[in-house]
Amino acid sequence: MVIDLDKCTGCGACAVACQQENNVSFRPDESDKLRTIAWMTLYRLDNGKDYPEHREAMLPRPCMQCDSPHHSPCTFVCPVNATVRDEHTGIVDHIAVRCIGCRYCMVACPYHARSFNWWDPKWPKTMEAMLSPEVSPRMRGVVEKCTFCHHRLNRARDRARINGEDPDGVVYTPACAEACPTGAITFGNLRDPHSDVARLAKDPRAFRILEKLHTEPKVYYLSSDQWIHKQSDNDLS
Amino acid sequence: MDKALIPEGVKRCPLPVFGLWMLVLFAVIAWGVYAGLTVLIKGLHVTGLNNYFGFGLYICVDLGIIALGAGAFFSGFMYYGLSRFFPQLKELHKIINLAVIVGFCCYTGALLVLLLEIGQPLRGWFGYWHANVHSMLTEVIFCISCYAIVLVIEFVPIILENRKLDAVKPLHIFGHNLHEIMAIFAMTGTFLSFFHQGSLGGVPGVMFARPFAYREGFFVWPWTFFLFTLSAMACGPAFTALICRLMEKVTRKQLVDRSVYELIGKIEGVLLLIYLILKGLDTLYWALDTAPGFGLKLSDFYKEPYGMWLLVAELGICGVIPVILLLTPQARKVNGLLFLAFFLDCAGIVINRFAMTVEALAIPVMPFDQWAVYIPTWAEWAPCIAMLAYGAVIVSLSYRYLPIFPRERELNP
Amino acid sequence: MSLGRRAFLQFVGGAIGGTLLTPIPWKLADDSAIWTQNWSWRPSPERGEITETTGTCLLCPGGCGIQARLVNGHRAIYVKGNPDHAVSRGGLCPVGAAGLQYLYAPYRITQPLKQTGKRGDPQGFQPIAWNEALKIVADKLAAVRKKGLPHTVACITGQDRSSVTDLWKQFFAAYGSPNLYTMPRHSDSTRLAVALATGYDADLGFHLEKATYVLNFGAPLLEGWAAPVRIQQIFSRWQTEQPGLPKTELVHVESRCSLTASKADRWIACKPGTEAALALGIAHVLIREKLYDAAFVSEKVFGFEDWTDAAGALRKGFKALVLAKYSPKDVAAVTGVDAQVIQELARELARQKNAVVLWGQSSDTPNNLYHDLAFLALNALIGALSDKAMVSLVPSQPWQALPEPAMDLEAFKGLGQKPLGQPTSVPKTKVRPNTLHAFLNALANGEEYPIELLFVHEANPAYGLSENTLAVQALQKAGMVVSFASYLDETAAYADLILPNHNAFERLDDVIGLPGAPFAFYAVATPILKPHYDTKSTGDVVLGLAKTLGGTVAQSLPWKNYEEVLKLRAAKIAEGATGLLVDATFDPASVEPGVSLRANFKKAADVWKKLTAGSCWVEAPQALDACTTPSGRFELACQGLLASVSTNAGDELFMAHYKPLPPSGNAGELPLLLTTYRSLSLAPGYVPNAPFMNKLLPDDLLLKQDVFVEVHPETARKLGLRHKAKAVLKTPLGEAPVRVRVAPTVPADVVALPEGLGHTAYDEYVQGKGVNANSLVEVHLDPVTGLGTVWATRAQLRLA
Repeated sequence: MVIDLDKCTGCGACAVACQQENNVSFRPDESDKLRTIAWMTLYRLDNGKDYPEHREAMLPRPCMQCDSPHHSPCTFVCPVNATVRDEHTGIVDHIAVRCIGCRYCMVACPYHARSFNWWDPKWPKTMEAMLSPEVSPRMRGVVEKCTFCHHRLNRARDRARINGEDPDGVVYTPACAEACPTGAITFGNLRDPHSDVARLAKDPRAFRILEKLHTEPKVYYLSSDQWIHKQSDNDLS
Repeated sequence: MDKALIPEGVKRCPLPVFGLWMLVLFAVIAWGVYAGLTVLIKGLHVTGLNNYFGFGLYICVDLGIIALGAGAFFSGFMYYGLSRFFPQLKELHKIINLAVIVGFCCYTGALLVLLLEIGQPLRGWFGYWHANVHSMLTEVIFCISCYAIVLVIEFVPIILENRKLDAVKPLHIFGHNLHEIMAIFAMTGTFLSFFHQGSLGGVPGVMFARPFAYREGFFVWPWTFFLFTLSAMACGPAFTALICRLMEKVTRKQLVDRSVYELIGKIEGVLLLIYLILKGLDTLYWALDTAPGFGLKLSDFYKEPYGMWLLVAELGICGVIPVILLLTPQARKVNGLLFLAFFLDCAGIVINRFAMTVEALAIPVMPFDQWAVYIPTWAEWAPCIAMLAYGAVIVSLSYRYLPIFPRERELNP
Repeated sequence: MSLGRRAFLQFVGGAIGGTLLTPIPWKLADDSAIWTQNWSWRPSPERGEITETTGTCLLCPGGCGIQARLVNGHRAIYVKGNPDHAVSRGGLCPVGAAGLQYLYAPYRITQPLKQTGKRGDPQGFQPIAWNEALKIVADKLAAVRKKGLPHTVACITGQDRSSVTDLWKQFFAAYGSPNLYTMPRHSDSTRLAVALATGYDADLGFHLEKATYVLNFGAPLLEGWAAPVRIQQIFSRWQTEQPGLPKTELVHVESRCSLTASKADRWIACKPGTEAALALGIAHVLIREKLYDAAFVSEKVFGFEDWTDAAGALRKGFKALVLAKYSPKDVAAVTGVDAQVIQELARELARQKNAVVLWGQSSDTPNNLYHDLAFLALNALIGALSDKAMVSLVPSQPWQALPEPAMDLEAFKGLGQKPLGQPTSVPKTKVRPNTLHAFLNALANGEEYPIELLFVHEANPAYGLSENTLAVQALQKAGMVVSFASYLDETAAYADLILPNHNAFERLDDVIGLPGAPFAFYAVATPILKPHYDTKSTGDVVLGLAKTLGGTVAQSLPWKNYEEVLKLRAAKIAEGATGLLVDATFDPASVEPGVSLRANFKKAADVWKKLTAGSCWVEAPQALDACTTPSGRFELACQGLLASVSTNAGDELFMAHYKPLPPSGNAGELPLLLTTYRSLSLAPGYVPNAPFMNKLLPDDLLLKQDVFVEVHPETARKLGLRHKAKAVLKTPLGEAPVRVRVAPTVPADVVALPEGLGHTAYDEYVQGKGVNANSLVEVHLDPVTGLGTVWATRAQLRLA
């Protein structure tokens, strides 16, 4: 995935679409940002300068689907194999029904891409009608996170199989990329050198967050602002 | 009945006083159980944990208490194992029973608290069934539960020494046989303990995306693996000694020879010194090489309320000072200084466990992220305090009804 | 046999050992884990066949095409943008993406309700049958008309771009009342300005697709201006390098460091509300340095040079006044923008071939007429209104709306009445001034004449109107309030009768014209699923009421149902045989004003089919060749204002000039200026913030129930306020508890408050969060147009 921060206006359509698509639960008060469940979080960056040199930018953060050798930080530590990386697709999935809720994966993730179900998820009765059958609602006491809309990939692969096509060649779009009104989010197969994402990842504007940790995130960002680049990792000068 | 259970030739406080004491402890335990049930029924939102602080007081106390409970395995290791080579370690048999009991309390208590900590306790056994062999936590789950069983086995013969139980012939024989093979269990326990104390250290150490916690290491084990084992050895017996001293104060009796304390002091002093040197090297390497490799300076890791004072407290006040005290023969002779050193030793290790779990999570890794502060709620304090009360209950009962101090009768004629 | 203690212990021990050897504990462990995986209180969504339907989002005027995924055809589970849609091309805003949370909101009104208690008592609503409810309204309408007071029936609608609004117009004309209002928008004042300058009743369309340089005075482009998704996509285009094309430069003028300011290529920070002065300063430089489009000005513009009015008096022209009063030095003093920068901006603007000037305010409210005229004048000077058509006039009705209404004497009499509260100075143009504030003011104060019956349609003035307390007071004074709300909002709470409309995703409706788009636009919104409550389309209700009233009213609204009205639109399009039915391949840059598009359709049935399948009809705007002003030219000096200003009025009063309406209150007591701001993740309009959107709000915007105001560190230091401190914000309108976000996003002595919070209605997910900005801002009635304008309010901030 490549997110163009020059185009991103921080509107949040990606995050809302994600919540709708993935049955992310919500509560009357969502202002405790350390307890909210969000697969796609918007961070606000600023250049630290005074008025009128001040500038702000929004940075949407899905799961980075870390590609570090052998293991992602989270999959390495899960004691019960509830979160695993599919080495074929590169997607880090999380199986809520296997999760024992030890939160070790959350602790290991430097991007805070994981949220814990501190409460029993509860929808207003009438809103249960809008829950998607493709993604099971999680239960209290387990961790959840962005799966790059893994179920959409499965859906696309199933369709390909039915049509007698190669299921490995399918393309699909996660909800966030689909909703983005500015087209700031590009999604595709990084391993395919001809894909848009592979091309954009080599753009001079491209960077990843916390490259120095060698987590090898599969989410790239694009920005032409140096002050944003500087906040992509610690001690960049 | 009560009288009949009390070991022969020793004096114990009157039953009503003991009963009152038990009542107080049970009240505390009831409070803890209530808190525990609240957590289980309502969910973990009643705690102060959040998405940034996935680990909090529960884990910190677990880690601390398991380190302090290391007296069981390490005393056993010294007594059953090393004493073959160092006969002076035989002295330790005067306190070994207490060490086992304290270890038993610490481990079973920790397991109970651990059940609260996980969001889905009913799935706790998935750790065995769906084990991820790469996860340090898997190793912890296996070793701790196995070692808890070992501790139960080590505790059984002590229980069987109760006057009434000992009178039962089959039990007497059983207990006696257990005693005979106790060395095997002690060695098994030692083996398990080396691993799980280490893997507890591995828990933070392997988090390669968490610059504060991550350590390079040897093969699959980060340096924290070895440091945690070593630090547990350096504080476990000290904690046993502290408990013993506390019991002496409460009972107003001498329970072990003072030479035992001094022996422990000497051993702990040496171990703590080795630990401190290694920990210091580790900290320096981490601060000067590992962390800068991640783009972070030492000062980036310490910010109020988790300021540099933590490092000073851990390694200076609770590290260097006890080492000096314990390795100075004159200081070891002074009760106040000796037990102060033991206390500081234990406190330093607990601070270390706190730093590696809680403080490690306060530090923002993404530059645009925020510092977070964690404040535990009553629902976290209560079970932890209740766990201590549970330990007190076990120790009190054991002391009252079991002959755990072989020298008690002679020291208190 | 007695069981000895030992035997008992042996038994217990044996039992434990034995049980462990049986499968019981293992099975129990397994079952309990399985139980945790299937908790009954966790909803399990119904499975079934998943289908997709197409529609148009009606949650804002943006007209985005949407697609919904349905389970078993009756349960909508996901809304996405329609990738084939001409305008939104698959994009969506957060409100649209959260649309299902309105559809399935617990605060939906599920059936007609009648207030049985005191007005405003939420417990007093009782269900009532549709026929009974409609009868009450029809009887009231008939009775009022019988009394000869049809003008005492009024309507406030929030949907100004739907055929329902035309039905209301038709109904009010035939029934005989001038009191039909829409919720205030910036277009209320721009349309008056356009009418005065050109004589046309038209909205402004900006050719942002073609622009190479955009000078934007305060319009919150990225915070939901005009058609939000269209603007987002244009912005994205500006950010995309296109080989061979120059990069579009966006220069943004605003006092606050909004996201638009941050994202612009250049941000010019000016003092709050002084954008118009800056525009005139730039005009000064253009004129002085002869950088303006001289050909356009000399051929098509009136009032640039000095002129003679109808009475024969010689009056100063725009050139003379601007040169005299708006030198960069003077303007710098007013705006705080360097004189050097003003010159630079003017030269840059003049250098660009495709430059355009945009303007607006954070809140979509009418602007000071003279300020609107100033920005219009600047566009005229740079030739944006010339054949280049960077700015074009898009008629608010691309075709004749509906057949002429049949009007009886009663209707003529009623319609001839002065709209309630409207000042006499209002310029007489083709545009009906939407003087809602004046109307509510008169109603609340019992002036002129009472209002017997007030309809409120898709509007929530009790929350969304600036100075919303005025709306609440007025609602209490109206004889009878009938609401068509889908949700139990703040205004519906004051209704006597609620005739719930279908929700935006459930009804057949249409969208006439896109705000800010340089082309005429029409789209049909088809329901994405069947209504699931006992609701009725308001269009059908209006038609039904007309039929019940009979006579000329019924004659004027002869259609069987609302669908027939919409089909009439399709027929009109087919009949007109111009314009195109387009999909995502449509390039607005290809549209030239005055050059009709060659129709790609013939039969009305085809048009209807395509429209309901998600195609949009577009047509070129009209060309600005013959203005219908007294001079026949684009008037910088608006002669249409002669009737509104006194005969001995200064020359300035005919044309653009900088004249902020002074905020009330004592600067000593209220030393700060309160401005409001918008954000795309905060729905400020008719619908409240959905729970999904609340997740987006940072905790220094909303913390628990407290909203944050932005304050510069300097101001915070002066007031002794620390970051996140609780404070009290006071304006002449009232006080509210807030918290302080100390950030250099605003200049010193300015407080910025977000719009869209502070609802008191709806449910626990919405209500009580923060403060309603509308309740604290001050409305200034424009002395010429009578429209309620908002720019800044004096305020005080003190530690709570």
